[in-house]
Amino acid sequence: MSDALRTLLAARGAASPPLRALREHIARHGPPDEAALRALADEVRMPVAALRGAVSYYADLHAPSTEIRVCDGTSCVLAGGSALSAGLTSLTSCRTAACLGYCHSSPAVLAGDTVVRAGAGRDPAAILAAARRADAAPPPDVRSLSATRIVTRRLGRGGFSDLAGARTDGAYDALSRALDGTPQDVLAAVIASGERGRGGAGFATGHKWRAAAAAPGPVKYVVANGDEGDPGAFLDRVLMEEDPHGLIEGMALCAYAIGATRGVVFVRSEYPRALATMEHAIAQAQEDGILGSRLMGRGPALEISVFLGMGSYVCGEETALLGAIEGFRGEVRPRPPYPAERGLYGCPTVVNNVETLVNVPWIVANGPDAYRRLGTSSSPGTKAMCLNAGFARPGVVEVEFGTPLATLLDDAGGAGALIAVLLGGPMGSVVRPADWDVPIGYEEMSARGVELGHGGVIALPRQADLGALLDHWLSFMAGESCGKCTPCRLGSRRLLEMVRDGTRTRDPVAFDRLLHVVEQGSLCAFGQRMPTPLRELVALIAEARR
Amino acid sequence: MNRPNAIVDGCGVVADGRSVMEIARGAGIDIPHLCWHPGLPPEGGCRVCLVEVDGAARPVAACHTPLRPGMTVRTRSAALDALRRDILALECAAHPAGAFRPDPSGTEFARLLHRVGADPAAAHEPASVQVDATHPYMRFDPSICVVCRRCLHVCEEVQGQFAYGVAGRGAETRLVASPTERFADGDCVACGACVDVCPTGAISDRDRHDAPAPDAVVRSTCGYCGVGCQVEVGVAGGRVVRVSGARTASVNRGHLCQKGRYAHAWHHAADRLTHPHLRDGDTFREVTWEEAIAFAARRLGEIRDRHGPGALGALTSSRSTNEACYLLQKLFRTLVGTNNVDCCARVCHASTATALRLATGTGASTASYADIEMARAIVVAGANPTEAHPVIGARIRQAVLRGAELVVIDPRRTELAGIAAIHLAVRPGANVALLNALGRLLLDAGRVDREYLDARTEGFSDLAAFLAAMSLEHAIDAAGVPAGDVHRAARILEGGPALFVSGLGLSELTQGVGSVLALANLAMLTGSIGRAGAGMLPLRGQNNVQGSVDMGSAPDTATGYQPVADAAVREHLAEVWGAAPPPEPGLTVTEMTRAAERGDVRGLWIMGEDIAQSDPHQEAVLRALDRLDLLIVQEMFMTETARRAHLVLPAAGWLEQAGTFTNAERRIQRVRPAVAPPGAARPDWQAVRDVGRAMGADWPYTDPAAVMDEVAHAAPSLFGGVSHARLEPDGLQWPCPEPGHPGTSRLHADGFVRGRGRLVVVEPETSPEHDIAGFPYTLITGRVLEHYNVGTMTRRTPSVGLTGADVLEMNAHDAEREGFRDGDGAHVESRWGGTEVPVRISDRVSPGTLFLSFHFPESHTNRLVGPHTDPVSKCPDYKVTAVRVAPAAR
Repeated sequence: MSDALRTLLAARGAASPPLRALREHIARHGPPDEAALRALADEVRMPVAALRGAVSYYADLHAPSTEIRVCDGTSCVLAGGSALSAGLTSLTSCRTAACLGYCHSSPAVLAGDTVVRAGAGRDPAAILAAARRADAAPPPDVRSLSATRIVTRRLGRGGFSDLAGARTDGAYDALSRALDGTPQDVLAAVIASGERGRGGAGFATGHKWRAAAAAPGPVKYVVANGDEGDPGAFLDRVLMEEDPHGLIEGMALCAYAIGATRGVVFVRSEYPRALATMEHAIAQAQEDGILGSRLMGRGPALEISVFLGMGSYVCGEETALLGAIEGFRGEVRPRPPYPAERGLYGCPTVVNNVETLVNVPWIVANGPDAYRRLGTSSSPGTKAMCLNAGFARPGVVEVEFGTPLATLLDDAGGAGALIAVLLGGPMGSVVRPADWDVPIGYEEMSARGVELGHGGVIALPRQADLGALLDHWLSFMAGESCGKCTPCRLGSRRLLEMVRDGTRTRDPVAFDRLLHVVEQGSLCAFGQRMPTPLRELVALIAEARR
Repeated sequence: MNRPNAIVDGCGVVADGRSVMEIARGAGIDIPHLCWHPGLPPEGGCRVCLVEVDGAARPVAACHTPLRPGMTVRTRSAALDALRRDILALECAAHPAGAFRPDPSGTEFARLLHRVGADPAAAHEPASVQVDATHPYMRFDPSICVVCRRCLHVCEEVQGQFAYGVAGRGAETRLVASPTERFADGDCVACGACVDVCPTGAISDRDRHDAPAPDAVVRSTCGYCGVGCQVEVGVAGGRVVRVSGARTASVNRGHLCQKGRYAHAWHHAADRLTHPHLRDGDTFREVTWEEAIAFAARRLGEIRDRHGPGALGALTSSRSTNEACYLLQKLFRTLVGTNNVDCCARVCHASTATALRLATGTGASTASYADIEMARAIVVAGANPTEAHPVIGARIRQAVLRGAELVVIDPRRTELAGIAAIHLAVRPGANVALLNALGRLLLDAGRVDREYLDARTEGFSDLAAFLAAMSLEHAIDAAGVPAGDVHRAARILEGGPALFVSGLGLSELTQGVGSVLALANLAMLTGSIGRAGAGMLPLRGQNNVQGSVDMGSAPDTATGYQPVADAAVREHLAEVWGAAPPPEPGLTVTEMTRAAERGDVRGLWIMGEDIAQSDPHQEAVLRALDRLDLLIVQEMFMTETARRAHLVLPAAGWLEQAGTFTNAERRIQRVRPAVAPPGAARPDWQAVRDVGRAMGADWPYTDPAAVMDEVAHAAPSLFGGVSHARLEPDGLQWPCPEPGHPGTSRLHADGFVRGRGRLVVVEPETSPEHDIAGFPYTLITGRVLEHYNVGTMTRRTPSVGLTGADVLEMNAHDAEREGFRDGDGAHVESRWGGTEVPVRISDRVSPGTLFLSFHFPESHTNRLVGPHTDPVSKCPDYKVTAVRVAPAAR
């Protein structure tokens, strides 16, 4: 995406977001041919070559439609998803799906808009029958090791996706009180809370908000990043499905604090239920007068819309995510400028992860001091961790920052047979038992070379096929690399080739050197961080051989 | 001030907000790079420009990392060298073996490989990708494309075209230029800017791919449209092998369009005229120049002596040099003794020149191209610059993409209309009503520049009274434009001075003068004329249409717009020329052809014009030419007009001669020969001089520079300081009244040339081609990007591979009603004539409006155009003709 293209689209009054028209076309007619591309380009007023680029970029816009999709996430692959996929392919049309966020019940299978109760070890025919019955997988178990529940307070209890139910639990009370005060009060509270963004980088939320509040511009945006692509993480899905009003309230508080009048919730297409609950909740909040021309009937305006992702992991990166909303390829763009200064459509924009925003109403309601009393000095508050089906007790577990990882794993059970846990998805870490005493927290972990990421935890059992896992990770990397920078664009595929053709074992120095090039040279965290867990996995493989 | 506060490679530098790359380059440190290119936005993709910053966890890209105070940067280290080598090796390995090799004198990429010591030996990709040569001018070799996206950025930033995209992701990421695998199917307009920035040669020019390297490069001025781009013409073995834009030229800054860059093959076309041809019954015989000149001189003298000077006339060429035009009008004014001198400016911008002269005192652009980038708002009225003046079109696009507000007034949805804030699709010929309505809205809003109007203009109260009294509703209705859009456009004009760019769509009308006057009214109401980033910028059609009139190719004004009726002027000219022109103004081109049809004009000298194809009411023009006793034509090819001549003089083209052209912003620029004319062809000025000498004149000119020296004496107020030597390096904008004068980029800056700017009440008139029973469609004629005027040059180039015929643009609704499918033949008929052309269904025209270009003689477009002219300027009405359509007979 270039500024020139963005200006062109604005000048042409392009349909926004243009990719929605595309998605609708494809739903009706399938992937576009030349004539359809030209017609679509004219309809959305986008140059045809740019449109073709976007269509070819997003999996959803060119992949064939199938009856069944089998989750290709790490947890599901470890649970035999690949074999299941092969079995289903012989029965019906089937392809893979990026992580469906059902790591607590792997392997997960998507049929239409339903994730089916699959369960490990069941035969493909039984799963297909379940799919045709729309036999939905159960929600995850939700529990807390923290006496104070913040982000999971409405999860696992049911009834809060509806506005009336949410209000009985105090939804929008913090917003209502905040509107009695000033935007600066909200901003100050979030800054003072020391909240860290939960997207992975742990950037201070208040700093982002302050920059966006200070940036001049008649239109500002708050964007909820619900593109939870990290295999192993499913908290944001559960939050959007079970506490959508918590998210809306967090967005409204952000909007009030920074002066935004427009909000967008970016929901992955792999999360059809989250899409439905978010759309429903926004419509209810709109009807009820919470959102609209005056927040809660008396504040400034805020309109919130939902943008449905189109199948790209890198879109979880904030600049790529904004590009996708504008109708472009989901490519990372260099920062600065940061979105807080020039984000969506060139306007000051706060992009916050869903969990980050759901924390906000609690912070505003209870005050920053109460928040800081939880967790550690550098990572205040709590963190909701996700445990996959490889544990005896999978699910969502809220812990105070500072809780040792081991405490979480003990609670989850079944940790004894593991050689490691995979923490934080493909850009996270392979954490071996010797490091399980590490406290959960940003600085606490990075001091030990561990990345928290989204907080997804996947059990790596002793019998796991580590070679297959390495191949799987590299396939994921090669398949999802956005194509913007050379080290990641070409290095990811070359690494995969080296694994498959045996170069990695014959010439480990060359393999490691290429990992180094990707790590040092890549533009964004995707390329910069993936080499770390890859190296750790390679070391595990080497040890397992001995 | 500005003390160094950061360090790059041990060198103190000032962190001023720019990137590490730019600041390092300023300090003489050239960081290796691939996707970065000066002037383009940083892409950040190739990662070759990685540098180390103290305290940073990993290297950062110099191109998109701002240098901050306190930073210490290293651009060289063993680790960086290794990283760059490995990254480039990775790139090379993704291409077929042998695709790249380090070469200190090779492509930019080969030089980079050499510099960093990358070894591309280990390639993993099989050579399977085909070179895409589907486009006549562009060649794309995907196997050596490194997806650096410079092409994409230059296309967007310089041409504003968005032809390129990037498809796929990961290692499958690749450049695309169309919705298919064929380059030719895309939106490329072949400006060639991408070729100039491509580091590997993946995108290249087909014309120079197998051509030898030039052994000489000559700087000259492009001979196509009136923009006046500076070109560097590469020549090998007496042939032009490549044309590039001159980077230092203020007009085009290195940019060119498809025609200027690529359409040069005409100069060695097999059917160039290489010898003088003298009529011999129904055929021609080749004669020597001596015989040809003697014939011309003798016949001109005979007709003058027998029928009087008024029986002869001349049309100078807007394609030829100032020097040639000057000499031909001088020959007729002094040796024949008539003011029957005109040129094709009559049939294009005569209305503009007349109106601007009336309103401001000077019949030329008040602004310069540089005002485009300074403009807050731009109004483009009746002009389609992305096709007819592409480099200016690109500059306007860039300005709009950088935030200038654009209002387009045009019946067609042109490319600029597509990016305009407002497109007012005015009914053809109804400009005055629309412009008056805009003026009225400015008045109603109280947003006219009263201070400017009071201090600098006259006629405001009359105009204000007229506008206030007229019916706004009626005016908007007559213009055929939604009222809301007119209000929105007016609000843009309320913002202050604007740049008014106009074209033939305002000029070639029966109310052409009125249309331009109404536009000038708006320009003065907004306080625009004489201000920076504002004013009137009419786009002249041909390379030297400005200059030919400047030189005196007009029946009422001699060199420098000096009226021949003025005794002082005649006295002054008699001093310079040795003879005074007659006091009575002569005939215009249209009047001359009518007079020839009647037998009153018996001899014409036509320099480089094909009026048989280009002039309106074609049947009458042909009758006139056939009746002449003497027709002398200077031409490069045997055109429809030349075929009817008694004497055809083979002419040198713009690549083959010396002299000057004057562009639409009044900039006089040098033209230099890159190759020799074919055979015995000669520059026009030389042939005119020799005929003049044969008629007894003592004309000493040895070269065009000597002619220009005389021009400076003939019209000192405009050209007194002009000489060929002074046109280095970037030309001079007239007026340049004395030696040392820097030229004038903005006219009327310190008050109007005529004293006060004149606001004129213009009543809208109905076009004689509106509401004609039985002729339900309105036809507009005009130009397309790929061809130039009557196509004499471009039809002899690979451009015909892009557009090989004139097509009739028709709205889908009309096509359905008339039963046409795309490509069907249509018989088009006006009250004046008919022709058959293929139909193209297009949403560029509204229902009821048709568009047809006139580049191909077989289309006979100008058979359709009628005899109407503007009563003042005599400019024909090419833009509004009532027609009907029917399926063509098979």
